[in-house]
Amino acid sequence: MSSLRPRPRAALLVLCGLWIATVLVAPLVGSQAVSLHDVLRAEPTAASIFWQIRLPRVLLALLGGAGLAVSGLGFQTLFRNPLAEPYTLGVSGGAALGAVLALRFEGGQLLGLPLVALASFAGALGATALIVGLALRREGVETSTLLLAGVAVSLSCSAIILFLQYLADSTQTFRMVRWMMGGLSVVGYTEVLWLLPWVLGGSAMLLALRWELNLLLMGEEMAASRGVDLARLRFQILLATSLMIGALVAVSGPIGFVGLIVPHILRRFVGHDHLFLAPACILGGGAFLTLCDAAARTLMAPAELPVGILTALLGGPFFLWLLVWGRRD
Amino acid sequence: MTATVLLTARELEWRAGERTILGPLDLDVRRGECLAIVGSNGAGKTTLLRLLTGLLRPWRGELCYSDRPFAALSRRELARRIAYVPQIRPSRVPLKVEEVVLLGRYPHLSRLQIAPRAVDFAAVEEALAVVGIEGLRGRAVDELSGGERQAVYIAAALAQQSELLVLDEPTLHLDARHQHDLASLLLRLKGGADRTVVLATHDLNLASLLGDRLLALVAGRPLACGPPAEILQPDLLDRLFQARFEIVRGGERPVTILDLGA
Repeated sequence: MSSLRPRPRAALLVLCGLWIATVLVAPLVGSQAVSLHDVLRAEPTAASIFWQIRLPRVLLALLGGAGLAVSGLGFQTLFRNPLAEPYTLGVSGGAALGAVLALRFEGGQLLGLPLVALASFAGALGATALIVGLALRREGVETSTLLLAGVAVSLSCSAIILFLQYLADSTQTFRMVRWMMGGLSVVGYTEVLWLLPWVLGGSAMLLALRWELNLLLMGEEMAASRGVDLARLRFQILLATSLMIGALVAVSGPIGFVGLIVPHILRRFVGHDHLFLAPACILGGGAFLTLCDAAARTLMAPAELPVGILTALLGGPFFLWLLVWGRRD
Repeated sequence: MTATVLLTARELEWRAGERTILGPLDLDVRRGECLAIVGSNGAGKTTLLRLLTGLLRPWRGELCYSDRPFAALSRRELARRIAYVPQIRPSRVPLKVEEVVLLGRYPHLSRLQIAPRAVDFAAVEEALAVVGIEGLRGRAVDELSGGERQAVYIAAALAQQSELLVLDEPTLHLDARHQHDLASLLLRLKGGADRTVVLATHDLNLASLLGDRLLALVAGRPLACGPPAEILQPDLLDRLFQARFEIVRGGERPVTILDLGA
Protein backbone atom coordinates (compact mmCIF):
# COMPACT_ATOMS: atom_id res chain seq x y z
CA MET A 1 0.00 0.00 0.00
CA SER A 2 2.71 2.42 1.02
CA SER A 3 4.54 1.66 -2.23
CA LEU A 4 1.91 3.74 -3.98
CA ARG A 5 1.74 7.04 -2.13
CA PRO A 6 -0.51 9.59 -3.79
CA ARG A 7 1.48 12.35 -5.46
CA PRO A 8 -1.07 15.05 -6.20
CA ARG A 9 1.12 17.50 -8.09
CA ALA A 10 2.87 14.91 -10.23
CA ALA A 11 -0.45 13.18 -10.93
CA LEU A 12 -2.05 16.46 -12.04
CA LEU A 13 0.87 17.09 -14.39
CA VAL A 14 0.55 13.62 -15.93
CA LEU A 15 -3.21 14.18 -16.30
CA CYS A 16 -2.60 17.47 -18.10
CA GLY A 17 -0.32 15.65 -20.51
CA LEU A 18 -2.85 12.86 -21.01
CA TRP A 19 -5.63 15.39 -21.57
CA ILE A 20 -3.68 17.29 -24.23
CA ALA A 21 -2.66 14.04 -25.94
CA THR A 22 -6.31 12.95 -26.01
CA VAL A 23 -7.43 16.24 -27.53
CA LEU A 24 -4.82 15.92 -30.26
CA VAL A 25 -5.31 12.27 -31.10
CA ALA A 26 -9.02 11.56 -30.54
CA PRO A 27 -10.33 13.72 -33.44
CA LEU A 28 -8.13 11.76 -35.83
CA VAL A 29 -9.57 8.31 -35.06
CA GLY A 30 -12.96 6.94 -36.03
CA SER A 31 -14.60 4.93 -38.78
CA GLN A 32 -12.43 6.89 -41.19
CA ALA A 33 -8.95 7.83 -40.02
CA VAL A 34 -7.94 11.40 -40.69
CA SER A 35 -4.33 12.54 -40.78
CA LEU A 36 -3.32 15.68 -39.01
CA HIS A 37 -1.24 16.58 -42.06
CA ASP A 38 -4.37 16.67 -44.27
CA VAL A 39 -6.24 18.76 -41.75
CA LEU A 40 -3.46 21.28 -41.50
CA ARG A 41 -3.19 21.74 -45.26
CA ALA A 42 -7.00 22.10 -45.36
CA GLU A 43 -7.76 19.09 -47.55
CA PRO A 44 -11.59 19.52 -47.84
CA THR A 45 -12.85 16.08 -46.74
CA ALA A 46 -10.37 15.70 -43.92
CA ALA A 47 -10.87 19.27 -42.73
CA SER A 48 -14.65 18.96 -42.78
CA ILE A 49 -14.59 15.65 -40.86
CA PHE A 50 -12.11 17.09 -38.39
CA TRP A 51 -13.68 20.50 -37.77
CA GLN A 52 -17.38 19.77 -38.22
CA ILE A 53 -17.78 16.23 -36.90
CA ARG A 54 -14.87 15.05 -34.81
CA LEU A 55 -13.75 18.15 -32.97
CA PRO A 56 -17.18 19.18 -31.61
CA ARG A 57 -17.70 15.61 -30.53
CA VAL A 58 -14.37 15.48 -28.74
CA LEU A 59 -15.07 18.81 -27.06
CA LEU A 60 -18.49 17.53 -25.97
CA ALA A 61 -16.88 14.39 -24.54
CA LEU A 62 -14.27 16.44 -22.71
CA LEU A 63 -16.92 18.64 -21.15
CA GLY A 64 -19.35 15.82 -20.46
CA GLY A 65 -16.76 13.56 -18.92
CA ALA A 66 -15.52 16.39 -16.75
CA GLY A 67 -19.05 17.15 -15.54
CA LEU A 68 -19.86 13.49 -14.86
CA ALA A 69 -16.62 12.80 -12.99
CA VAL A 70 -16.66 15.93 -10.84
CA SER A 71 -20.36 15.36 -10.05
CA GLY A 72 -19.59 11.79 -9.06
CA LEU A 73 -16.83 13.09 -6.80
CA GLY A 74 -19.20 15.58 -5.18
CA PHE A 75 -21.82 12.91 -4.57
CA GLN A 76 -19.32 10.42 -3.16
CA THR A 77 -17.94 12.94 -0.70
CA LEU A 78 -21.37 14.25 0.26
CA PHE A 79 -22.82 10.81 0.86
CA ARG A 80 -19.58 9.35 2.19
CA ASN A 81 -20.35 6.43 -0.04
CA PRO A 82 -18.08 5.21 -2.83
CA LEU A 83 -21.06 3.96 -4.85
CA ALA A 84 -22.84 7.30 -5.11
CA GLU A 85 -22.90 8.95 -8.53
CA PRO A 86 -25.51 10.74 -10.68
CA TYR A 87 -26.51 7.49 -12.36
CA THR A 88 -27.19 5.64 -9.10
CA LEU A 89 -28.83 8.60 -7.37
CA GLY A 90 -31.79 9.33 -9.56
CA VAL A 91 -30.50 12.56 -11.11
CA SER A 92 -29.82 10.81 -14.41
CA GLY A 93 -33.07 8.91 -13.96
CA GLY A 94 -35.06 12.11 -13.56
CA ALA A 95 -33.38 13.58 -16.61
CA ALA A 96 -34.16 10.46 -18.63
CA LEU A 97 -37.78 10.55 -17.55
CA GLY A 98 -38.06 14.16 -18.71
CA ALA A 99 -36.60 13.31 -22.10
CA VAL A 100 -38.75 10.22 -22.58
CA LEU A 101 -41.87 12.25 -21.74
CA ALA A 102 -40.89 14.81 -24.38
CA LEU A 103 -40.29 12.04 -26.94
CA ARG A 104 -43.66 10.45 -26.13
CA PHE A 105 -45.48 13.70 -26.75
CA GLU A 106 -43.48 14.54 -29.86
CA GLY A 107 -41.82 17.65 -28.50
CA GLY A 108 -40.66 20.31 -30.90
CA GLN A 109 -38.28 23.14 -30.21
CA LEU A 110 -38.18 25.87 -27.63
CA LEU A 111 -35.64 28.68 -27.49
CA GLY A 112 -33.64 27.00 -30.23
CA LEU A 113 -33.17 23.84 -28.25
CA PRO A 114 -35.05 20.59 -28.72
CA LEU A 115 -37.80 20.13 -26.15
CA VAL A 116 -36.25 16.76 -25.32
CA ALA A 117 -33.18 18.55 -24.04
CA LEU A 118 -35.11 21.04 -21.95
CA ALA A 119 -37.36 18.33 -20.56
CA SER A 120 -34.42 16.23 -19.44
CA PHE A 121 -32.83 19.29 -17.87
CA ALA A 122 -36.05 19.90 -15.97
CA GLY A 123 -36.19 16.23 -15.04
CA ALA A 124 -32.73 16.29 -13.45
CA LEU A 125 -33.59 19.37 -11.43
CA GLY A 126 -36.96 17.85 -10.48
CA ALA A 127 -35.36 14.65 -9.23
CA THR A 128 -32.84 16.63 -7.20
CA ALA A 129 -35.53 18.90 -5.81
CA LEU A 130 -37.50 15.83 -4.77
CA ILE A 131 -34.49 14.35 -2.95
CA VAL A 132 -33.62 17.67 -1.32
CA GLY A 133 -37.28 18.21 -0.42
CA LEU A 134 -37.39 14.86 1.29
CA ALA A 135 -34.18 15.76 3.05
CA LEU A 136 -35.46 19.10 4.31
CA ARG A 137 -38.84 17.80 5.42
CA ARG A 138 -37.40 16.76 8.73
CA GLU A 139 -34.54 18.44 10.44
CA GLY A 140 -31.44 16.36 10.91
CA VAL A 141 -32.04 13.90 8.10
CA GLU A 142 -29.05 11.62 7.76
CA THR A 143 -27.09 11.40 4.55
CA SER A 144 -27.86 7.70 4.31
CA THR A 145 -31.55 8.61 4.06
CA LEU A 146 -30.75 10.93 1.16
CA LEU A 147 -28.92 8.13 -0.57
CA LEU A 148 -31.88 5.78 -0.21
CA ALA A 149 -34.22 8.54 -1.38
CA GLY A 150 -32.06 8.83 -4.49
CA VAL A 151 -32.32 5.12 -5.16
CA ALA A 152 -36.10 5.27 -4.71
CA VAL A 153 -36.41 8.20 -7.12
CA SER A 154 -34.23 6.36 -9.62
CA LEU A 155 -36.37 3.22 -9.46
CA SER A 156 -39.61 5.19 -9.76
CA CYS A 157 -38.30 7.01 -12.83
CA SER A 158 -37.32 3.71 -14.45
CA ALA A 159 -40.79 2.32 -13.83
CA ILE A 160 -42.51 5.36 -15.37
CA ILE A 161 -40.15 5.22 -18.36
CA LEU A 162 -41.06 1.56 -18.95
CA PHE A 163 -44.75 2.47 -18.72
CA LEU A 164 -44.32 5.28 -21.26
CA GLN A 165 -42.45 2.94 -23.58
CA TYR A 166 -45.28 0.44 -23.31
CA LEU A 167 -47.79 3.12 -24.31
CA ALA A 168 -45.69 4.51 -27.16
CA ASP A 169 -45.79 3.32 -30.78
CA SER A 170 -42.84 1.45 -32.19
CA THR A 171 -41.10 4.48 -33.74
CA GLN A 172 -41.30 6.40 -30.52
CA THR A 173 -40.19 3.37 -28.52
CA PHE A 174 -37.18 2.96 -30.77
CA ARG A 175 -36.22 6.60 -30.31
CA MET A 176 -36.65 6.34 -26.55
CA VAL A 177 -34.55 3.19 -26.30
CA ARG A 178 -31.89 4.67 -28.51
CA TRP A 179 -31.84 7.86 -26.47
CA MET A 180 -31.61 5.94 -23.22
CA MET A 181 -28.41 4.28 -24.40
CA GLY A 182 -26.55 7.56 -24.18
CA GLY A 183 -24.38 8.77 -26.99
CA LEU A 184 -22.40 11.72 -28.24
CA SER A 185 -23.35 11.64 -31.91
CA VAL A 186 -23.69 15.37 -32.49
CA VAL A 187 -22.82 17.53 -35.46
CA GLY A 188 -21.67 21.08 -34.92
CA TYR A 189 -21.00 23.21 -31.94
CA THR A 190 -24.49 24.05 -30.63
CA GLU A 191 -24.43 21.34 -27.98
CA VAL A 192 -20.88 22.21 -26.96
CA LEU A 193 -21.79 25.84 -26.44
CA TRP A 194 -24.92 24.83 -24.53
CA LEU A 195 -23.00 22.55 -22.18
CA LEU A 196 -20.00 24.81 -21.62
CA PRO A 197 -21.44 27.31 -19.10
CA TRP A 198 -23.11 24.62 -17.00
CA VAL A 199 -20.00 22.49 -16.68
CA LEU A 200 -17.77 25.50 -16.09
CA GLY A 201 -20.15 26.95 -13.50
CA GLY A 202 -20.80 23.66 -11.72
CA SER A 203 -17.12 22.71 -11.63
CA ALA A 204 -16.16 26.16 -10.36
CA MET A 205 -18.76 25.87 -7.61
CA LEU A 206 -17.46 22.48 -6.48
CA LEU A 207 -13.88 23.74 -6.64
CA ALA A 208 -14.86 26.68 -4.47
CA LEU A 209 -16.30 24.19 -1.96
CA ARG A 210 -13.06 22.20 -1.68
CA TRP A 211 -12.53 23.10 1.99
CA GLU A 212 -16.02 22.03 2.91
CA LEU A 213 -15.67 18.83 0.89
CA ASN A 214 -12.40 18.04 2.69
CA LEU A 215 -14.11 18.66 6.01
CA LEU A 216 -16.87 16.22 5.06
CA LEU A 217 -14.18 13.54 4.85
CA MET A 218 -13.92 13.81 8.65
CA GLY A 219 -17.62 13.16 9.12
CA GLU A 220 -20.60 15.48 9.29
CA GLU A 221 -20.40 16.06 13.04
CA MET A 222 -16.78 17.12 12.82
CA ALA A 223 -17.44 19.27 9.75
CA ALA A 224 -20.34 21.03 11.46
CA SER A 225 -18.29 21.69 14.57
CA ARG A 226 -15.63 23.31 12.38
CA GLY A 227 -18.23 25.74 11.11
CA VAL A 228 -19.71 24.04 8.04
CA ASP A 229 -23.40 24.76 7.52
CA LEU A 230 -24.38 21.24 6.48
CA ALA A 231 -27.84 22.02 5.12
CA ARG A 232 -26.46 24.77 2.90
CA LEU A 233 -23.51 22.67 1.78
CA ARG A 234 -25.79 19.78 0.77
CA PHE A 235 -27.94 22.19 -1.18
CA GLN A 236 -24.93 23.74 -2.94
CA ILE A 237 -23.44 20.40 -3.91
CA LEU A 238 -26.75 19.03 -5.16
CA LEU A 239 -27.47 22.21 -7.10
CA ALA A 240 -24.07 22.31 -8.80
CA THR A 241 -24.18 18.63 -9.75
CA SER A 242 -27.78 18.52 -10.92
CA LEU A 243 -27.31 21.56 -13.16
CA MET A 244 -24.31 19.89 -14.78
CA ILE A 245 -25.94 16.48 -15.10
CA GLY A 246 -29.21 17.96 -16.34
CA ALA A 247 -27.44 19.94 -19.04
CA LEU A 248 -25.34 16.95 -20.04
CA VAL A 249 -28.12 14.37 -20.16
CA ALA A 250 -30.07 16.86 -22.24
CA VAL A 251 -27.56 16.54 -25.10
CA SER A 252 -26.19 13.04 -24.69
CA GLY A 253 -28.73 10.93 -22.87
CA PRO A 254 -27.74 9.20 -19.64
CA ILE A 255 -24.12 8.06 -19.62
CA GLY A 256 -23.46 5.94 -16.58
CA PHE A 257 -20.52 5.05 -14.38
CA VAL A 258 -18.04 7.69 -15.57
CA GLY A 259 -18.74 9.47 -12.28
CA LEU A 260 -18.04 6.25 -10.45
CA ILE A 261 -14.92 4.98 -12.20
CA VAL A 262 -12.92 8.17 -12.69
CA PRO A 263 -12.85 9.57 -9.11
CA HIS A 264 -11.98 6.13 -7.74
CA ILE A 265 -9.04 5.55 -10.00
CA LEU A 266 -7.78 9.10 -9.49
CA ARG A 267 -7.89 8.90 -5.68
CA ARG A 268 -5.16 6.26 -5.86
CA PHE A 269 -2.78 8.66 -7.55
CA VAL A 270 -3.96 12.09 -6.47
CA GLY A 271 -5.04 11.43 -2.88
CA HIS A 272 -8.21 12.72 -1.23
CA ASP A 273 -7.55 16.46 -1.04
CA HIS A 274 -10.27 18.07 -3.17
CA LEU A 275 -7.96 20.94 -4.05
CA PHE A 276 -6.19 18.46 -6.34
CA LEU A 277 -8.83 15.79 -6.76
CA ALA A 278 -11.52 18.06 -8.24
CA PRO A 279 -9.29 19.43 -11.05
CA ALA A 280 -7.97 15.90 -11.58
CA CYS A 281 -11.55 14.68 -12.09
CA ILE A 282 -12.23 17.48 -14.56
CA LEU A 283 -9.18 16.52 -16.63
CA GLY A 284 -9.40 12.77 -16.10
CA GLY A 285 -13.15 12.53 -16.65
CA GLY A 286 -12.87 14.44 -19.91
CA ALA A 287 -10.03 12.31 -21.17
CA PHE A 288 -11.76 9.09 -20.08
CA LEU A 289 -15.06 9.82 -21.84
CA THR A 290 -13.21 11.02 -24.96
CA LEU A 291 -11.22 7.78 -25.10
CA CYS A 292 -14.37 5.70 -24.52
CA ASP A 293 -16.10 7.59 -27.31
CA ALA A 294 -13.14 7.13 -29.65
CA ALA A 295 -13.29 3.40 -28.87
CA ALA A 296 -17.06 3.36 -29.40
CA ARG A 297 -16.56 4.93 -32.82
CA THR A 298 -13.90 2.46 -33.95
CA LEU A 299 -14.70 -0.89 -32.31
CA MET A 300 -17.53 -1.74 -34.69
CA ALA A 301 -16.67 0.62 -37.55
CA PRO A 302 -18.34 1.67 -39.76
CA ALA A 303 -21.18 1.17 -37.28
CA GLU A 304 -21.01 3.18 -34.10
CA LEU A 305 -21.60 1.95 -30.58
CA PRO A 306 -23.44 4.38 -28.25
CA VAL A 307 -20.80 5.36 -25.72
CA GLY A 308 -23.27 4.89 -22.86
CA ILE A 309 -23.32 1.16 -23.59
CA LEU A 310 -19.53 1.03 -23.45
CA THR A 311 -19.25 2.91 -20.16
CA ALA A 312 -22.01 0.76 -18.66
CA LEU A 313 -20.19 -2.39 -19.81
CA LEU A 314 -17.06 -1.13 -18.08
CA GLY A 315 -18.89 0.31 -15.10
CA GLY A 316 -21.10 -2.62 -14.09
CA PRO A 317 -18.21 -4.97 -13.27
CA PHE A 318 -16.28 -2.08 -11.71
CA PHE A 319 -19.24 -1.36 -9.43
CA LEU A 320 -19.29 -5.02 -8.35
CA TRP A 321 -15.54 -5.01 -7.81
CA LEU A 322 -15.85 -1.92 -5.62
CA LEU A 323 -18.68 -3.47 -3.67
CA VAL A 324 -16.78 -6.66 -2.90
CA TRP A 325 -13.10 -5.73 -2.82
CA GLY A 326 -12.81 -2.00 -3.02
CA ARG A 327 -14.43 -0.89 0.22
CA ARG A 328 -11.11 -0.72 2.03
CA ASP A 329 -10.34 2.25 -0.11
CA MET B 1 -21.76 38.96 36.34
CA THR B 2 -21.80 38.95 32.54
CA ALA B 3 -18.05 39.50 32.40
CA THR B 4 -17.41 36.16 34.02
CA VAL B 5 -20.07 34.10 32.31
CA LEU B 6 -19.15 32.83 28.86
CA LEU B 7 -22.06 30.63 28.00
CA THR B 8 -25.53 30.51 29.46
CA ALA B 9 -28.30 28.00 29.00
CA ARG B 10 -31.80 28.75 30.22
CA GLU B 11 -34.57 26.16 30.48
CA LEU B 12 -32.72 24.08 27.97
CA GLU B 13 -34.68 21.08 26.83
CA TRP B 14 -34.28 18.49 24.13
CA ARG B 15 -36.71 15.80 23.11
CA ALA B 16 -36.66 12.86 20.76
CA GLY B 17 -40.29 12.38 19.78
CA GLU B 18 -42.29 12.41 22.99
CA ARG B 19 -39.38 11.45 25.19
CA THR B 20 -37.43 14.15 27.00
CA ILE B 21 -33.74 13.33 26.64
CA LEU B 22 -32.40 16.37 28.40
CA GLY B 23 -33.60 19.12 30.67
CA PRO B 24 -35.11 21.37 31.60
CA LEU B 25 -31.70 22.60 32.66
CA ASP B 26 -30.07 25.93 33.50
CA LEU B 27 -26.32 26.26 33.21
CA ASP B 28 -23.66 28.97 33.32
CA VAL B 29 -20.21 28.19 31.96
CA ARG B 30 -17.79 30.66 33.51
CA ARG B 31 -14.93 32.17 31.61
CA GLY B 32 -11.66 30.32 32.29
CA GLU B 33 -13.16 27.43 34.20
CA CYS B 34 -13.12 23.73 33.48
CA LEU B 35 -16.58 22.22 33.79
CA ALA B 36 -16.76 18.43 33.85
CA ILE B 37 -20.09 16.77 33.12
CA VAL B 38 -20.41 13.38 34.78
CA GLY B 39 -23.16 10.81 34.64
CA SER B 40 -24.00 7.29 33.60
CA ASN B 41 -24.50 6.03 30.05
CA GLY B 42 -27.51 7.68 28.50
CA ALA B 43 -27.68 10.44 31.09
CA GLY B 44 -27.66 13.01 28.28
CA LYS B 45 -24.03 14.15 28.44
CA THR B 46 -23.42 14.05 24.72
CA THR B 47 -26.80 15.64 24.01
CA LEU B 48 -25.92 18.47 26.36
CA LEU B 49 -22.54 18.98 24.67
CA ARG B 50 -24.14 18.98 21.22
CA LEU B 51 -26.63 21.60 22.40
CA LEU B 52 -23.87 23.71 23.97
CA THR B 53 -21.86 23.62 20.74
CA GLY B 54 -24.88 24.54 18.64
CA LEU B 55 -24.88 21.26 16.72
CA LEU B 56 -28.37 20.48 18.03
CA ARG B 57 -31.04 23.11 18.13
CA PRO B 58 -32.82 23.02 21.50
CA TRP B 59 -36.39 21.85 21.54
CA ARG B 60 -37.01 24.60 24.04
CA GLY B 61 -34.94 27.13 25.95
CA GLU B 62 -32.23 29.55 25.04
CA LEU B 63 -28.47 29.50 24.68
CA CYS B 64 -26.27 32.58 24.72
CA TYR B 65 -22.57 33.04 24.14
CA SER B 66 -21.31 36.21 25.84
CA ASP B 67 -24.90 37.49 25.86
CA ARG B 68 -25.38 36.82 22.15
CA PRO B 69 -28.07 34.26 21.43
CA PHE B 70 -26.91 31.25 19.41
CA ALA B 71 -29.63 31.95 16.87
CA ALA B 72 -27.90 35.23 15.98
CA LEU B 73 -24.61 33.49 15.24
CA SER B 74 -23.79 31.63 12.02
CA ARG B 75 -22.15 28.22 12.16
CA ARG B 76 -18.80 29.78 11.29
CA GLU B 77 -19.15 32.44 13.96
CA LEU B 78 -19.99 29.75 16.49
CA ALA B 79 -17.00 27.68 15.38
CA ARG B 80 -14.71 30.65 15.93
CA ARG B 81 -15.89 30.70 19.54
CA ILE B 82 -16.45 27.02 20.32
CA ALA B 83 -14.29 24.06 19.26
CA TYR B 84 -15.70 20.59 19.73
CA VAL B 85 -13.97 17.22 19.82
CA PRO B 86 -16.79 14.72 19.33
CA GLN B 87 -16.67 11.18 20.55
CA ILE B 88 -18.06 9.55 17.43
CA ARG B 89 -16.00 9.86 14.30
CA PRO B 90 -15.71 7.99 11.04
CA SER B 91 -13.57 4.88 11.06
CA ARG B 92 -11.71 6.05 7.98
CA VAL B 93 -10.35 9.54 7.46
CA PRO B 94 -8.22 9.54 4.31
CA LEU B 95 -6.18 12.59 5.28
CA LYS B 96 -2.80 13.35 6.75
CA VAL B 97 -2.37 14.66 10.28
CA GLU B 98 -1.37 18.16 9.19
CA GLU B 99 -4.30 18.29 6.75
CA VAL B 100 -6.75 17.45 9.52
CA VAL B 101 -5.25 20.07 11.81
CA LEU B 102 -5.23 22.67 9.03
CA LEU B 103 -8.95 22.04 8.48
CA GLY B 104 -9.42 23.34 12.00
CA ARG B 105 -8.67 26.75 10.49
CA TYR B 106 -11.81 26.62 8.37
CA PRO B 107 -13.91 29.09 10.39
CA HIS B 108 -11.13 31.68 10.06
CA LEU B 109 -10.80 31.44 6.28
CA SER B 110 -12.49 34.06 4.19
CA ARG B 111 -14.77 32.95 1.39
CA LEU B 112 -12.52 34.21 -1.38
CA GLN B 113 -9.28 32.93 0.03
CA ILE B 114 -7.41 30.60 -2.33
CA ALA B 115 -4.90 29.20 0.12
CA PRO B 116 -4.31 29.27 3.88
CA ARG B 117 -2.28 32.24 5.10
CA ALA B 118 0.81 32.39 7.30
CA VAL B 119 -1.33 32.84 10.45
CA ASP B 120 -3.14 29.62 9.63
CA PHE B 121 0.08 27.65 9.30
CA ALA B 122 1.40 29.27 12.46
CA ALA B 123 -1.73 28.18 14.33
CA VAL B 124 -1.27 24.63 13.01
CA GLU B 125 2.37 24.57 14.14
CA GLU B 126 1.42 25.85 17.56
CA ALA B 127 -1.36 23.30 17.96
CA LEU B 128 0.92 20.43 16.90
CA ALA B 129 3.57 21.63 19.36
CA VAL B 130 1.18 22.07 22.28
CA VAL B 131 -0.19 18.57 21.84
CA GLY B 132 3.31 17.26 21.16
CA ILE B 133 2.63 15.52 17.84
CA GLU B 134 4.94 17.42 15.47
CA GLY B 135 6.48 14.04 14.64
CA LEU B 136 3.19 12.73 13.27
CA ARG B 137 2.46 15.57 10.87
CA GLY B 138 3.06 13.66 7.64
CA ARG B 139 1.38 10.45 8.77
CA ALA B 140 -1.99 9.26 7.51
CA VAL B 141 -4.62 9.50 10.26
CA ASP B 142 -5.78 5.98 9.45
CA GLU B 143 -2.38 4.56 10.40
CA LEU B 144 -2.46 6.05 13.90
CA SER B 145 -3.41 4.41 17.18
CA GLY B 146 -6.50 5.51 19.09
CA GLY B 147 -4.49 7.67 21.47
CA GLU B 148 -2.61 9.39 18.65
CA ARG B 149 -5.85 10.04 16.80
CA GLN B 150 -7.41 11.63 19.86
CA ALA B 151 -4.36 13.90 20.09
CA VAL B 152 -4.77 14.85 16.42
CA TYR B 153 -8.41 15.82 16.88
CA ILE B 154 -7.55 17.87 19.94
CA ALA B 155 -4.81 19.62 17.95
CA ALA B 156 -7.33 20.35 15.20
CA ALA B 157 -9.68 21.86 17.78
CA LEU B 158 -6.83 23.96 19.18
CA ALA B 159 -5.95 25.23 15.71
CA GLN B 160 -9.49 26.55 15.64
CA GLN B 161 -8.32 29.05 18.30
CA SER B 162 -11.64 29.35 20.00
CA GLU B 163 -12.13 30.43 23.56
CA LEU B 164 -14.24 27.44 24.54
CA LEU B 165 -13.02 23.89 24.07
CA VAL B 166 -15.62 21.13 24.39
CA LEU B 167 -14.56 17.49 24.63
CA ASP B 168 -16.76 14.41 24.66
CA GLU B 169 -15.25 11.45 26.55
CA PRO B 170 -11.65 12.38 25.70
CA THR B 171 -10.16 9.29 27.38
CA LEU B 172 -12.61 6.69 26.12
CA HIS B 173 -10.92 3.56 24.70
CA LEU B 174 -7.46 4.76 25.73
CA ASP B 175 -5.04 2.59 27.67
CA ALA B 176 -3.56 3.72 30.99
CA ARG B 177 -0.51 5.44 29.50
CA HIS B 178 -2.50 7.33 26.92
CA GLN B 179 -5.07 8.30 29.53
CA HIS B 180 -2.23 9.67 31.59
CA ASP B 181 -0.73 11.58 28.67
CA LEU B 182 -4.09 12.99 27.68
CA ALA B 183 -4.93 14.04 31.24
CA SER B 184 -1.64 15.91 31.55
CA LEU B 185 -2.23 17.55 28.16
CA LEU B 186 -5.69 18.70 29.25
CA LEU B 187 -4.28 19.89 32.55
CA ARG B 188 -1.78 22.04 30.65
CA LEU B 189 -4.47 23.32 28.32
CA LYS B 190 -6.82 24.40 31.02
CA GLY B 191 -3.99 26.17 32.78
CA GLY B 192 -3.54 28.33 29.68
CA ALA B 193 -4.73 31.90 29.57
CA ASP B 194 -8.40 32.51 28.90
CA ARG B 195 -9.29 29.01 27.84
CA THR B 196 -12.56 27.59 29.00
CA VAL B 197 -13.04 23.83 28.87
CA VAL B 198 -16.21 21.76 29.05
CA LEU B 199 -15.84 18.00 28.99
CA ALA B 200 -18.07 15.02 29.48
CA THR B 201 -16.66 11.87 30.98
CA HIS B 202 -17.44 8.63 32.80
CA ASP B 203 -14.09 8.88 34.49
CA LEU B 204 -14.67 10.46 37.90
CA ASN B 205 -10.97 10.78 38.66
CA LEU B 206 -10.34 12.63 35.42
CA ALA B 207 -13.27 14.90 36.23
CA SER B 208 -11.89 15.43 39.73
CA LEU B 209 -8.39 16.17 38.45
CA LEU B 210 -9.47 18.63 35.76
CA GLY B 211 -12.82 20.00 36.80
CA ASP B 212 -13.18 23.23 38.70
CA ARG B 213 -16.83 22.32 38.85
CA LEU B 214 -18.62 19.06 38.22
CA LEU B 215 -22.13 18.81 36.84
CA ALA B 216 -23.82 15.53 37.71
CA LEU B 217 -26.56 14.48 35.28
CA VAL B 218 -29.17 11.82 35.94
CA ALA B 219 -31.65 10.98 33.20
CA GLY B 220 -31.12 14.35 31.56
CA ARG B 221 -31.69 16.34 34.74
CA PRO B 222 -29.01 18.04 36.81
CA LEU B 223 -28.56 16.25 40.13
CA ALA B 224 -25.91 18.54 41.55
CA CYS B 225 -23.28 21.02 40.43
CA GLY B 226 -20.25 22.17 42.39
CA PRO B 227 -16.57 21.67 43.12
CA PRO B 228 -15.21 18.08 42.99
CA ALA B 229 -15.13 17.63 46.77
CA GLU B 230 -18.82 18.47 46.93
CA ILE B 231 -19.93 16.11 44.18
CA LEU B 232 -17.65 13.16 44.82
CA GLN B 233 -19.47 11.92 47.91
CA PRO B 234 -20.48 8.26 48.27
CA ASP B 235 -24.18 9.07 48.72
CA LEU B 236 -24.35 11.37 45.74
CA LEU B 237 -22.40 8.98 43.55
CA ASP B 238 -24.73 6.21 44.58
CA ARG B 239 -27.67 8.21 43.34
CA LEU B 240 -25.74 9.17 40.21
CA PHE B 241 -24.61 5.71 39.13
CA GLN B 242 -26.58 3.33 41.35
CA ALA B 243 -23.24 1.88 42.35
CA ARG B 244 -21.10 2.07 45.48
CA PHE B 245 -17.98 4.21 45.37
CA GLU B 246 -15.27 4.54 47.96
CA ILE B 247 -13.31 7.75 48.45
CA VAL B 248 -9.70 6.57 48.64
CA ARG B 249 -8.22 10.03 48.97
CA GLY B 250 -10.04 13.10 50.15
CA GLY B 251 -9.15 16.75 49.79
CA GLU B 252 -10.06 19.30 47.15
CA ARG B 253 -9.76 16.81 44.31
CA PRO B 254 -10.87 13.47 45.74
CA VAL B 255 -9.89 10.13 44.19
CA THR B 256 -12.66 7.57 44.06
CA ILE B 257 -12.76 3.90 43.34
CA LEU B 258 -15.71 1.78 42.31
CA ASP B 259 -16.53 -0.75 45.00
CA LEU B 260 -17.13 -3.98 43.09
CA GLY B 261 -17.42 -6.08 46.24
CA ALA B 262 -20.76 -7.56 47.27
